[in-house]
Amino acid sequence: MDMFLEQLPQQLVNGITLGGVYALIAIGYSMVYGILSMLNFAHGEVYMIGGFTGWWVLHLLYRENALAMNAVAVIALMVVFAMAVSGILGVLIERVAYRPLRHAPRINLLLSALGVSIFLQNFVLTFQGAKVRSFPVAALVPESLRVIQLGPVVFSFMRVLVIVVCFCLMAGLSIMIKSTKLGKAMRATAQDVETAAFMGVDVDRIIMVVFFIGSALGGAASVLVGLLFTQVDYYAGFAAGLKGFTAAVLGGIGNLYGAMLGGFVLGLSEALAVTFFPAAYKDVVAFVILIAVLILRPWGLMGEKSPEKV
Amino acid sequence: MKRAILLAVSISALLVAGGPAAAADAAKGIHVGNAGSFTGDAASPCMEIFHSAQLAVDEWNATGGIQGVQIEHIMGDDALDPAQGLNVAQRFVADERMYGVIGPPVSHIAQATLKTYGRAGLACITTAASKPELTESGFNHFFRVNARNDAHGYNCALFIQDTLQAKRVAVLNEKVAYCDNMATQTIKGLKALGVTDIFQDTIVAGAKDFYPVLTKVKNFNPDVLFFIATAAPDQAIGVRQARELGIKAIFLGSEGARDKKDFIEAAEGAAEGAYLYHFSPDIYAIDAAGGYVSAYEAKHGPLSGFGPAAYEAMNILLSAIDAAAADGDITRAEVVQHLHDIQGYSGILGIPITFDAKGDLEGGATYFFQVKGSEFVFQTVLTGK
Repeated sequence: MDMFLEQLPQQLVNGITLGGVYALIAIGYSMVYGILSMLNFAHGEVYMIGGFTGWWVLHLLYRENALAMNAVAVIALMVVFAMAVSGILGVLIERVAYRPLRHAPRINLLLSALGVSIFLQNFVLTFQGAKVRSFPVAALVPESLRVIQLGPVVFSFMRVLVIVVCFCLMAGLSIMIKSTKLGKAMRATAQDVETAAFMGVDVDRIIMVVFFIGSALGGAASVLVGLLFTQVDYYAGFAAGLKGFTAAVLGGIGNLYGAMLGGFVLGLSEALAVTFFPAAYKDVVAFVILIAVLILRPWGLMGEKSPEKV
Repeated sequence: MKRAILLAVSISALLVAGGPAAAADAAKGIHVGNAGSFTGDAASPCMEIFHSAQLAVDEWNATGGIQGVQIEHIMGDDALDPAQGLNVAQRFVADERMYGVIGPPVSHIAQATLKTYGRAGLACITTAASKPELTESGFNHFFRVNARNDAHGYNCALFIQDTLQAKRVAVLNEKVAYCDNMATQTIKGLKALGVTDIFQDTIVAGAKDFYPVLTKVKNFNPDVLFFIATAAPDQAIGVRQARELGIKAIFLGSEGARDKKDFIEAAEGAAEGAYLYHFSPDIYAIDAAGGYVSAYEAKHGPLSGFGPAAYEAMNILLSAIDAAAADGDITRAEVVQHLHDIQGYSGILGIPITFDAKGDLEGGATYFFQVKGSEFVFQTVLTGK
């Protein structure tokens, strides 16, 4: 047992980082579901393309073993560009593949989403190849900050950065949804699209904004993963999408805070599962937790038990 | 009706004629196959195998082929799918001018096609498939110029215990047949050598986050971390994350790590001093391989390590076909027999090649390298002793 206790602090840190990333991805699924009641299966690919965008920014600014500018500026540019590209891509996908089907049966939307996902994955495979891209992150962090020992726990600078950025983005989103006019309109649309439209909310615009924000957060998550785990490839969206989706369902799909909570629960349960069981059981434990939650609370940890709308 | 019967009879006659015992006139043509995963995830090493075998064929053809007949080298792509591998095998077996095959290089595809090639008595020389069972099934047509997994496993155990002087060993392996097997064989070897403080766990390829399992490794505090994963990017993440977590153990990677760009460069310094094992030697350090290396690199760019064995295997296969063709006709059985007869063939691999009764490379050979700067520096070759 001592052996487990010694690892525990480090595993908690591992789990929180992973959880933050899952949470950012899950928000994209949850926001879209909240408004359109559809599973945006293309979200994983939007995430992956965000990662590639970050990689390209770094690739262009890192030449001959030197950065073209300050490391902080480079990281900021990577995140901003990835968010912009992913966000715009999300809006485009909505416009091209989902809006024409808005009044069609949900299954059509789902199939369209799957189609977009397959298309994007193969698009990137064709133009970027199957090779794994490595982020040359050593240049971004001074040697002295690369590994920080704090008691029994080892942090890397990137890990701290990932946790901080995740929390900032989530806090920003919460504030925006709670206290701006746009946020109010988003909540209204999520509650009832038609009524919101009657009250003068430009529903199409709100849906666009939702896709932009959800996708942009996915893109940010992807860059953070790239900075932390140093790689991206055309297939990265599959696993990330699956985990993000699981986190969203775990927390209660459609509920923003549920998505965040779901992400952390999933990340932590994976890290702790590895602590107590052989690592091969990592996903087994994570999905057993999901199934248990769905049996006991089919609406998820924070989802609301909503009656069918009339 | 008569015609249908005639057709059926002639088809069966053809089938019988195409069977293993057929003796064909060499002048009708000589085909050699190359079965591999030329598209899909293993495309890049497999294309290196194909191009290298092609070089050998081109050289034979330039000096008049076999008995004046030009040799035709035919690609059979299985796309890393055993079912498609079986199609390739059936196509090759049905080709009555086909006298030998290079490959398949992937163990599970070699396994799936073993019986098809075996029943037809068509010689196969693999350059990379290392699963022990492949030469344990009673067929005599299957040869390898690479060592078996169990030989590698024992040699790695020997390296860890003897060369690296380790007392505590952590083994992490990807959860796929090859890596699982390698881990099992190494642990078996370590125990036989008296090393019993062993921690083993698994990783998932492409998962990118190995921190949780590496945290366990750190807790175990091993002298050596043996990290068995197929692809170089996973190896790079493994060594980088191990160092970031403050694991001081010597890192020993597996074959896939021998990739300057995706392992040494991608790890950005974390791979410095790391060791790895490989089934093929440092081809640049072998004088006899100079001609091959420059011819290959002029046409196809830098070698990764899968090519030399294929060049060697094709040359061995062609010399066996050549010996079989000396009397004007060739049978598949003669080719297999001549392969078994080869003693101490000296080519470009730097070791004498003799196949034992099962078709395995006698003695096996595992080469060890260490990362120094941006290079893999050859350390030693172990042959189970």
